[in-house]
Amino acid sequence: MSYIGIVVTSVFASNALLTYGLGSIPNRDRGRLGSLPSAIALTVVNALAALFLWVVHSLVLFPLGLSSLDVLFFALFAVPALKFLSRAASSSGKALLSRVGEDADDLVVGSLVFGLALIASRGGYALPEALIASSAAGLGYWLVSLLLESIRERLELSDLPEPFKGAPAMLISAGLMALAFMGMDSAFVKGLTG
Amino acid sequence: MSERREGFIPNPVLAGLVGICPLIAVSRNLAEAAAYGLGSAFCAIVLGAVAPPLRSVVADRLQAPALLALSASLALVYAFCVLLYSPAIAAGLWVYLPLLAVSGLSLSALRRSASSLGRFGPDGQSRLGAITLEALLFLLTATLVGSARELIGLGTLTLPVPGLSPARLVFADAAPLGILVSPAGGFIFLGFVVAAYRAIVGAGGRKSP
Repeated sequence: MSYIGIVVTSVFASNALLTYGLGSIPNRDRGRLGSLPSAIALTVVNALAALFLWVVHSLVLFPLGLSSLDVLFFALFAVPALKFLSRAASSSGKALLSRVGEDADDLVVGSLVFGLALIASRGGYALPEALIASSAAGLGYWLVSLLLESIRERLELSDLPEPFKGAPAMLISAGLMALAFMGMDSAFVKGLTG
Repeated sequence: MSERREGFIPNPVLAGLVGICPLIAVSRNLAEAAAYGLGSAFCAIVLGAVAPPLRSVVADRLQAPALLALSASLALVYAFCVLLYSPAIAAGLWVYLPLLAVSGLSLSALRRSASSLGRFGPDGQSRLGAITLEALLFLLTATLVGSARELIGLGTLTLPVPGLSPARLVFADAAPLGILVSPAGGFIFLGFVVAAYRAIVGAGGRKSP
């Protein structure tokens, strides 16, 4: 599949949240998820995590027949390294970089970054493809979070039955969005982009 | 109506939405949902039991990496056990077995055990007891959600039996509502289940968090 195809697939057809269930549905406490620093943090952290896990998995663990140990290597080496980088960025003094660092720091220990890195390393991608797929998947998560956030704001103003207010309405909205994204399946994208 | 809270344990998935997104992805059938629920419960309970003593012997700045490494080791051990028990279930759970290391329930157990208040919380309840109850409720919910989605969606039930191929009970020749086993159907199904839970809890005079 072409790089454009990988990007479109990772953002829509294989969306991190709506297809793989990675990360979490945005809630009121995470209002700034839709911001530009958030998008940059999601892209960069996912790319770095995928880079680390791809290198460790493909060049070290897989040849030794120890692929399953990637989880341990990620916890022991990648997480502290990513935490260090994000804290260094957040204390840089530059406004945008600080915000990116703060957002990245929140993301490092979670199913989103780890899950996307695992998919990139175990999904049979070459290194450039793995980097593009995981960065695009981060952008896909950001896009869905942004859309769900705006849906949540509208739903708060609408007259829903009490039990459906909040999380249930968000889950149903996410499901309907997932149905729409399912239309862009991998075969369709491959046919479109080559 | 006065709020009744005594003796009421909120369901971690349906009330707190703990680990709900990965659960939607893995609860396509009974076997995988039960295996994922059991793995989450195992990791959370062991972390709840081991984390407090570990915190007392490990230096402050090394606690977070040490606990994450412990969580990853538990996920790894559980993944090996599932692979030995049923390669089909292990293959079905794919990256979600290693992801148990950072599952919502594991992180919740670590947060609960991070308090310096000792073995008991402010309400006098044992912290490990609370983590265990939450873990068992997660396992029960995962199993029920997986069963319901598979039964209504495909008209089958995949039993978590050992061996290379899973045992499947067939109740319908054609899939009655196939969309339900897709992630999109899972989100919509869980949305209705959470709403039903809230309605039932609300009708009982309790307030869901």
